[in-house]
Amino acid sequence: MTASPTFRIAAALALLVALGAAALAQDNRERQGYFNVRSADTRLVDGVQVLDARLQLVLSDEALAALNSGVPLIIELRLEVIRMRRFMPDAVDAELDVRYELEYRPLSQRYIVRNLNSADQDSFATLYAALNSLGRIESLPVVDDSILEADARYRMRLQALLSTQQYPAPLRILFFWRDQWQLRSDWFEWRLDR
Amino acid sequence: MATRPLKRLLYGTLGALGVALTLVALFLLSRTAQDSQEFDRLYVYILLINVAGVLVLFALFVGNLARLFREYRTHVPGSKLKARMVGMFVGLAVVPLLVVFYFSMQFINRGIDTWFNVDVEAGLDDALALSRAALELQMREHLQSTTAIAEHLEQVSYGQIIFELSNLRRQAGASEITLYGRSRQIIATSSDLAAGAVPEAPSDEVLLQIQQARPYVRLFPLQEGRYEIRTAVPMGSRNRPELAGLLQARFPVPERISRMADSVDSSYSDYKLAEYLREPLKRTFTMTLSVVLLLSLLASIYGAFVLTRRMVAPIQDLVAGTRAVAKGDFDMRLPAPSRDEIGFLISSFNDMTQRLSTARRQASLSQALVEAERANLEVILARLSTGVVSLESDLRIRTANQAAGAILNVDLENRVGEYLPEVAKDAPLLEQFVDVARVHLDAGDREWREQIVLRGEVGRRVLTCACTTLPGDEDHDPGFVVVFDDITALLQAQRDAAWGEVARRLAHEIKNPLTPIQLSAERLRRKYLRSMPADEAQILDRATHTIVQQVEAMKEMVNAFSEYARAPDLDINHFDLARLAHEVVDLYRSQETGGIELGLETEPGLPEIEADQGRVRQMLHNLLRNAVEALDGTAGGRIDVHVQRARYLDTDVAEITVADNGPGFNAVALSQVFDPYVTTKPKGTGLGLAIVKKLVEEHAGIIEAENGEDGGAVIRIRLPVSEAAREAIIARMPGRGEKRRERA
Repeated sequence: MTASPTFRIAAALALLVALGAAALAQDNRERQGYFNVRSADTRLVDGVQVLDARLQLVLSDEALAALNSGVPLIIELRLEVIRMRRFMPDAVDAELDVRYELEYRPLSQRYIVRNLNSADQDSFATLYAALNSLGRIESLPVVDDSILEADARYRMRLQALLSTQQYPAPLRILFFWRDQWQLRSDWFEWRLDR
Repeated sequence: MATRPLKRLLYGTLGALGVALTLVALFLLSRTAQDSQEFDRLYVYILLINVAGVLVLFALFVGNLARLFREYRTHVPGSKLKARMVGMFVGLAVVPLLVVFYFSMQFINRGIDTWFNVDVEAGLDDALALSRAALELQMREHLQSTTAIAEHLEQVSYGQIIFELSNLRRQAGASEITLYGRSRQIIATSSDLAAGAVPEAPSDEVLLQIQQARPYVRLFPLQEGRYEIRTAVPMGSRNRPELAGLLQARFPVPERISRMADSVDSSYSDYKLAEYLREPLKRTFTMTLSVVLLLSLLASIYGAFVLTRRMVAPIQDLVAGTRAVAKGDFDMRLPAPSRDEIGFLISSFNDMTQRLSTARRQASLSQALVEAERANLEVILARLSTGVVSLESDLRIRTANQAAGAILNVDLENRVGEYLPEVAKDAPLLEQFVDVARVHLDAGDREWREQIVLRGEVGRRVLTCACTTLPGDEDHDPGFVVVFDDITALLQAQRDAAWGEVARRLAHEIKNPLTPIQLSAERLRRKYLRSMPADEAQILDRATHTIVQQVEAMKEMVNAFSEYARAPDLDINHFDLARLAHEVVDLYRSQETGGIELGLETEPGLPEIEADQGRVRQMLHNLLRNAVEALDGTAGGRIDVHVQRARYLDTDVAEITVADNGPGFNAVALSQVFDPYVTTKPKGTGLGLAIVKKLVEEHAGIIEAENGEDGGAVIRIRLPVSEAAREAIIARMPGRGEKRRERA
């Protein structure tokens, strides 16, 4: 019995799709990595709410390989100031995105951590030191207390994530399917003391 | 069926949806390729649209394939052509797509691979190594100078350290040198930065290195592509414990070298980034191209199905229409799809079926007319008393009507198709008929007319016969038709009428002079018989006696003629026929009949009949007298009379049979026995049986004369028992009573 041309084409297409799916599939033996906000709090300093936080940033093997291959990683901190309301849904009064770029420079063999908001940068001999530095947020100005309503109650929340928006489309299509590039912590919430 | 348009609408909608989704997906794909900022917003939609497009097209493909397979298996008209065309179109679409896909993949892979070659990579590695080597040389020099400064400072008094530090910094070309104490406090610092600037505290890695009593030197990348070399050495020997700590120095890398180093660094990073992108790029392009190929393939295949269906649909319609025409359905009209050649073909087909339909309607109409004419003709022929027989040229019976069978005494209607001479073998009358006809046919007469006399067992039959050739056609041989009529009764009626006229004239012309003749003879006798001599008187006596006697005889004869010609109205009443027969027979028994034995047998329970009793009595008288006269001089003469019920023409009749054992009828007399003046008796007037026949016919009855099996004459009369029976017989007899049926 001979297969019809239509059947052969359909079979070839099915094989193609299967191969594509296999290529995109994740190898579970690799380290997945994770981001975690271990602690976060704000304090009022000179009328400005400043953030102190401790983050645990563990890169996945793929992100690590990309970093060592010269791909800069963007680690983003998302902060939201949320006004609590009694009879209505809470309102997000302020948002702050702080983006850090982590880059490996082959000539100096150092990891550079660059605050993209302020353009400050620092370099570290090891990735551990760089991530440790990134995970230690101290006195980060968040919001001017005067713009907040005096008699309102606020809560804040913080999330750390690995951003992939800056990459070219081919990489983003690839990263879209890879769990190792979906590094994102849970939201960490606390009451804003006034 | 209502589901077919719905299915077509569903398939069409799905097809349009699939193609639209494909186009939208490809459009969005090109947008994301041009503008990666929209990627996050669009990619999920692209993905969903692509998946939906693929699913829709795949569902359509599977549905169409299944339908085609089903049609192919059930031998739906046009399915083989459709399968071939789909295969052809799919082949035409798929092969170029696969070729393009293959070469695109080759170009992409090879194009991407050409970005990376070993020479460039090795060159970059070498450039990086060279840069490192160059910078490491500087780093070693700066570390040595830092170490030298540290050693020098240990030789300087504590108060002079700050001054010496500035000198040494300028001499070493450092931008900043800071001496830290044991607890990391600044003991002395010198910097070319603006006054008041705080020196940078030693980092953890510096401290870690110093704690291990090892010097520290590192190349530090700064902003804007600048570099500096940072060195640190431990301080505080045994001689100068107050200086225990570290000396940290920062040496700027010259701008030109920094720029070049940064260029190498950036190029190397870019190359590594590109190299990292190589496989993802290939995978992404492969995946994108595969999706595009899949969509294009499915769209092409679906397009092939749609195109084929549209192209084959008119042909399928034509096949269905042709089959319908083959089955006789000429009313089928096909939808005209377009104005192309197929459309022209279909409109021609519609014209053809319309013409066929019109022609068939006309043919049906003509056939119906012919059938109606034929039915009318059959009715007419069936009702005709004239026999009509149509024959093939080889004398096979084509048609024959009932009258033909009745006249020729053979059932011709049920022997259609048989060879006429074969049929005639069992029918003497038909045999004589065929003999006469064959003479003309053998002579090649196309039309002939003749009066034929047929001789049967019970008498002769006179037919007028006409024959003509039929027009032949493609399906029929010419053949011919023979039309014949039994005119025996007609001739008899004419004879009867003639004899009636003779009788009337005789009664009128002869009876009147007879009385004067008789009176004159008697007068002559009275006047001259006595006065004449004896011998003359004897002559006169004998002559007048003869005259008177013969006149009496002539009077009787004339009276008999008068009786024959007389036709008063019938006096119909109910009476018992058996009793009447007994009365008449008893009358003859009481008379001297010369030793003739009379027998009478009547059927028990014979009902009364409706008839003219006087005439029936006369019939019996005449028959008995005729029989007695026939037996005159016959020793042992015997007359048997039977009265019984019988059926004639499906009607109840009373049958009276008078049979004698006399000489019977001779062959010539038998055919004319009921004619006046026909007699075989020496004393007969020849009017007895003629009058009986006349009386019987007045009652719509039948009289037959024949010779008995043992000799002697047999006269049989059948009289209808009632007025209704009489009317029924009149209606069923050929000629409807105008002509009485006679067997003589």
